[in-house]
Amino acid sequence: MQTEDVVRLESVHKTYGDKRHRVEALRGVTIGLPRGSFTAVMGPSGSGKSTFLHCAAGLDRPTSGSVRLAERELTGLGETALTKLRRERVGFVFQSFNLLPALTVQQNITLPLRLAGKRADRALVADVISRVGLADRRKHLPAELSGGQQQRVAIARALVTRPAVIFADEPTGALDTRTARDVLDLLRSAVRVHGQTVVMVTHDPVAASYADRVVFLADGQLVGELRNPAPDAVAERMTHLGAWADHTPVRALGA
Amino acid sequence: MLRIALRTMRFRKGGFAATFIALFFGAALVMACGGLLETGVRTDVAPQRYAATDVVVTGDQTYAPPPTDPEDDAESEPLPERVRLDASVVGTIRGVPGVALAEGDVSFPVGLVRAGRVVDSAPLGHSWASGRLAPYTLGAGAQPGPGEVVLDRTMAGANAIAVGDRVDLLARGTTGTFRVSGIAEPPAAVTGTPAVFFAGADADRLAARPGSVDAVGVLAAPGVDAGQLAERIGAALRGQPVTISTGNDRGTAEFPEAPRGSEGLIALAGVIGGFAILVAIFVVAGTLGLSIQHRHRELALLRAIGTTPRQLRRMVLTEAFTVAVLATALACVPGVLLGGWILDRLAGLGAVPALVVFHQGWLPMIVGTGVGLLTSLVAGLMAARRAGRTRPVEALSDAATQRRWLGPMRLLFAVLGFAGGLALAIVTVTVFDGSIAASTAGPTVMVWAVALAMIAPGLTKVVGALLRPVLRGVGGNAGYLAMLNAKARTVRLAAAVTPIMFSVGIATAMIYLQTTLADAEREAYTRNLRADVVLASTTGGLPTDLVDQVRRVPGVAGASEFVTSTGFVDGDTESVPLQGVSADGAEQTTSIRLTGGTLADLRGDGVAVPAELGVSVGDSMRIRLGDGASVPLRVVALFAGDPGYPRILLPAELLVSHTTNGLPAQIMVRAGAGVDPAALRAALRELTADRPGVAVADRDAMTAAYVRELQVGASVNYLLVGLIMMYTAISVVNTLVMATSRRRRELGLQRLTGSTRGQVLRMMTLEAILVAAVGILLGTLVSTTTLVPFSLAATDSVWPSGPLWIYGAVVGVATVLTVAATLLPAWFATRGRPAEAAAGPE
Repeated sequence: MQTEDVVRLESVHKTYGDKRHRVEALRGVTIGLPRGSFTAVMGPSGSGKSTFLHCAAGLDRPTSGSVRLAERELTGLGETALTKLRRERVGFVFQSFNLLPALTVQQNITLPLRLAGKRADRALVADVISRVGLADRRKHLPAELSGGQQQRVAIARALVTRPAVIFADEPTGALDTRTARDVLDLLRSAVRVHGQTVVMVTHDPVAASYADRVVFLADGQLVGELRNPAPDAVAERMTHLGAWADHTPVRALGA
Repeated sequence: MLRIALRTMRFRKGGFAATFIALFFGAALVMACGGLLETGVRTDVAPQRYAATDVVVTGDQTYAPPPTDPEDDAESEPLPERVRLDASVVGTIRGVPGVALAEGDVSFPVGLVRAGRVVDSAPLGHSWASGRLAPYTLGAGAQPGPGEVVLDRTMAGANAIAVGDRVDLLARGTTGTFRVSGIAEPPAAVTGTPAVFFAGADADRLAARPGSVDAVGVLAAPGVDAGQLAERIGAALRGQPVTISTGNDRGTAEFPEAPRGSEGLIALAGVIGGFAILVAIFVVAGTLGLSIQHRHRELALLRAIGTTPRQLRRMVLTEAFTVAVLATALACVPGVLLGGWILDRLAGLGAVPALVVFHQGWLPMIVGTGVGLLTSLVAGLMAARRAGRTRPVEALSDAATQRRWLGPMRLLFAVLGFAGGLALAIVTVTVFDGSIAASTAGPTVMVWAVALAMIAPGLTKVVGALLRPVLRGVGGNAGYLAMLNAKARTVRLAAAVTPIMFSVGIATAMIYLQTTLADAEREAYTRNLRADVVLASTTGGLPTDLVDQVRRVPGVAGASEFVTSTGFVDGDTESVPLQGVSADGAEQTTSIRLTGGTLADLRGDGVAVPAELGVSVGDSMRIRLGDGASVPLRVVALFAGDPGYPRILLPAELLVSHTTNGLPAQIMVRAGAGVDPAALRAALRELTADRPGVAVADRDAMTAAYVRELQVGASVNYLLVGLIMMYTAISVVNTLVMATSRRRRELGLQRLTGSTRGQVLRMMTLEAILVAAVGILLGTLVSTTTLVPFSLAATDSVWPSGPLWIYGAVVGVATVLTVAATLLPAWFATRGRPAEAAAGPE
């Protein structure tokens, strides 16, 4: 069970831009992410963290190499097929702008089900909402919630389809330390208690320490990993990777 | 998807308001045009003096030329002159069972003369017996005997005439004195022309058309159905060219000129409607496009969490369609009101007979609604394609990067538009000439505007790049920022540029088209007008003996009666203007260049035709005159035709006998060599001093009168341009307000980084000026592509003629509108503290 990979990347390359402005974001990344694991992906700005996440989640297509997600080969899938796969097998939590402002908490959470044309299992939805502690906020609009609450709605939305894997992109980046801890606890309990697989991109060593395993990216390549990391150890490793001081997320091409 | 779309719309009402407004006004305009179209097709004229009749019998007022293709249905053309009935028809109809009363009616213009001058030239004279067809009832006095008249109360009241008074009445160029025997009360149905009733014999004498009647009004016996009676009358008159009318058709029978006015109405409605649809599609596509750009992160998020491109497209389409349903449903009411209002204006300008009743049935409503929905569908599809291309990764990034704007569809339509526009321009220059060239000009504007709208983002980029250095140089820091903003968001800029381009392009093209055409026509008119003095009738025509008397006046080199009508060369479907002239004075008073024969032979059955017609002097030909009579003629002269202004010359006495009035309206007089036209005019005034209803005018007065006539057409055009301008102006404001309001956060951020509010507003002003400049430049380009070919065709000059200030006004209005529509929302957006705005929702 532990050894089965939900996501597997095989020598994945990703290049952006035209001939004159060529950016190699990923240069031959090979990694497997086992079922029921909580993996943090770390690296300095421009190391290819976000590109890694996009490629692994089927949001973007690698230039070469293969990505398998829940036993499906993603290379060669059309946009619609990729979308359907994401909808059924993948959950997302982003740093910000996670929710549709027009929909209530409950509507946001059940949106992936509705998009797939499925009926929401009431018990499951109720369970997920109570797990993230928003049972009394079901009818609220996102604008009426705090940042941490909004992020918990996003996690609930990611959980509700029982996806094979949840991808989180800097899920605590916009939150204060205490709310960040709540959100990370939620993600960890999803893994520990419910056997969910989670991949999280972060630049925060404390956030990374919630994972079972931290992998480090630099210049588009995997440069090491830590198992059951402690924040200090993660920070230490990051310092060696350089550019740690500059942790402003640069999100232009090639980030 | 529907529920998500509806919820989104409820949440983002503001974003859809612009689309709603554009569709609402667009649909209202289209519905109004649909109403006008229906009005034109039906030409419902309420009967007035025939209001009490059940059936009206008239001559067949149409001419059906033989179809060019025997398979085709014959298309009938309305005839310009009254087609009369033989008086024997009245007797035949009286013999039909079920006819309670059948009365032949004649009408002729009557002028009320006081102190040797016509003071009221509006009334029409009839026989008293025909008064029962309305019915008029005697309010005072008695019915008229010989030498007596009954006036209707409107006329008697307006001129303070009472029973027993003696009045001087002018008819057929001669004045007679009549005793007023009674005052008639018109029924409620009669709202128009005042009536003068004569005794039967007097009426026949004054109408001077013995043995014929204009129409026969029939009252059915009690219990007889009008439709059945009409059938019976039809059977009794089988084989005779008559039209039998019941219901509202009786109005058309009474006013045969109404259908001709409504042909123009159909064309007008088509043109405004077409422009409205076109503008609506682009404006709605623009506003929907903007609303999609404004929430592109939301769309990207939807894509990331599992919305397929198809689902996203459907959502956008659903939104567009829902707005369209609401907008078109609400547009029904203003649509009807607007249609009625336009018709009133057109009637006021004299472009449409005032008697035509506005008609808006369910069909224009359906069409208007359908067009509104279709517009939103087309625009929605354009927007949805873009939405469907949203990449899910964009949800993760803040950068609103611009995407490629020139898709294959845009390219295809642009290429089609340019090809079509070029083809139309070539056709305009090479095939058409004169006033007909205007018929390709309208479509040319539309096609070019579409083509340019398709590549508007690219053009905006290019023109913007050219203007930016200027902006920077003039504007200082604000200019620098405005320049950067414009560079970074060309595609959004293009959404605002497109409606400005439309309004400037359409307005400039349509207005200068009109002025150029008017100039060309005035020039042709003055070129052809060789008379120094013109005698014109104010009431019903000039007496036939007048022209001889004029010729005897010293200083007159030549005088010719002048009659105008319209007819057809037999077999042709295209009508041609006919002019009647007197052989004795035609050479001196007409300006044509003869290429064969002589106008002195233009007597009896002679005819002078353009040499281009391909006949020679001595040939026989048939011409169908204005009243439908086909007459055999002999070609006596050929002349060089004026391209674009065709005409055929006939003897005045022949042509005039086939017109409604039966008398010439004008006499053209040429002064002899060395004779002062002013002196001649004075001499002719003296000659006609005892003839009321004859006006003596010189060349300038004639030209002025002609120009006034042209101005009717011009005013109609200006009304239309005004409507389209209003609509595009609404769209410009709409789009700009929407685009600017969305930048609240950005402007807040700018202020946080140190800009003062004044600096921000200055920057926005410069941006607005850039947008206006690009739009005006492109709009001018659109109008040029239409005006240059048209001017070449109509006047052989590259430049359209017309006052320059109109262009200046168009440019000024466009600029002011753009700046105001940008600054006002910017002013609102920068009210309050910048930190709030910067932290607010995007």
